[in-house]
Amino acid sequence: MILVYNLLSSVLPSDPAEQHSSGGGDDIMHHVLDHDILHLPTVLGVDLSISYHTLMMWIASALLLFFLTPLFRKRNIIPKGRFANSIEAIVEFLRQDIIYNYIGKEGKKFENYLLTVFFFILTNNLMGLVPGGAAATSDISVTVTLTLLTFSMVLGAGIAHHGFFGYWKGLIPGGVPGWLIPVLFPIEILGILAKHFALAMRLFANMTAGHITILALIGLVFTFNSYFIAPAPVIVAATIGVLEVLVAFLQAYIFTLLSGVFIGASVHQDH
Amino acid sequence: MDLLTPDTGLMFWTVLTFALLYFVLGKFVWKPVGEVLDEREARLNASLEKAEEAQKSAEAALEKNKEMLTEARNEVQELIAKGKKTAESVREDIIAEAKSEATALIDRARKEVNLEQEKALDEIRKLAVDLSISATQKVIGKALSEKEHQQLVSQSFEDLGELN
Repeated sequence: MILVYNLLSSVLPSDPAEQHSSGGGDDIMHHVLDHDILHLPTVLGVDLSISYHTLMMWIASALLLFFLTPLFRKRNIIPKGRFANSIEAIVEFLRQDIIYNYIGKEGKKFENYLLTVFFFILTNNLMGLVPGGAAATSDISVTVTLTLLTFSMVLGAGIAHHGFFGYWKGLIPGGVPGWLIPVLFPIEILGILAKHFALAMRLFANMTAGHITILALIGLVFTFNSYFIAPAPVIVAATIGVLEVLVAFLQAYIFTLLSGVFIGASVHQDH
Repeated sequence: MDLLTPDTGLMFWTVLTFALLYFVLGKFVWKPVGEVLDEREARLNASLEKAEEAQKSAEAALEKNKEMLTEARNEVQELIAKGKKTAESVREDIIAEAKSEATALIDRARKEVNLEQEKALDEIRKLAVDLSISATQKVIGKALSEKEHQQLVSQSFEDLGELN
């Protein structure tokens, strides 16, 4: 029971007095939370300090640029190489399955955004599985920012397609009696906000939960301090680590899929 | 830095990083990949169409060949029939010719036989005359004068003629 309590207190924010006695909890929070590695001045209320997650995000982005940019210099009609082939397969899958499936013809305008979102999230997710690395997507700041970008895409697509007032009017389904509109409109607005809030929380929670689980399992080794018990948490942690690879791909896919669905719903309001 | 409090600094850097990725990847990766995929699709479609067309034309050629083969067979059949007919007629002609030749030969032979017969009869007649003359000479004991001789001969011819 004490163990479970310790684990819970390591995940949930707890009052400082208890944190001193919770042992591993501090370590876990230290790993999960971001910390500055280079202090920069605050400009217009924005602290520009480079944090660990910023660095990880940059490393992920640099890897993306480094590996993807030279890949399609020559526009080979016949695919060359396994890596180029797999990237092509993913791009084709996203295009067919999400972009053209949910947005349709207008999907071409959002192709770059959705593909970039997918590969950005995927690479960042996978960074969290590298020893010593961390997933920037396990930071709520990053997921909220991505969600805000999707949200602006959704609004932009809707307003560009239906006009500013047409978009808001289109939120109310057709055939609704007039007196219901004042009730329905706030509900629809709340619905949109909730959908995007969930989008940010889903990615953040999934990425953070995996890390916390692995850290907690590893923490068991030190909590028990016994050679007999130590292998069990390690095996389970390794299994969770494999699962994390799946989750990394899955969450990147889900975020991209839902972004596509939201944009599609905004473009085709009548459906 | 709390777990659930967004940090504006990181948000700022995220926007900046994402914007950079968006433009660079969009220009150098997604655009060429999309173009390559589209072109490949178009090419595959085109080559599929071509293959279909080629198959169709091959089928048509096969059909044509078959037709030609049947035509050739028919022609050969016709030629054989014609040859048979010609041979038949030639055979008939030859037979007819041979027959007519044979008849002609028989006719000629008959005529010759008749002529020989005639000749032989003439000779017999002459001999008969001579014999009768010599017999008469012996019987009468003297030779007849030329004039009487002539008269006698013609008379006996007339008798012979009556006999004939």
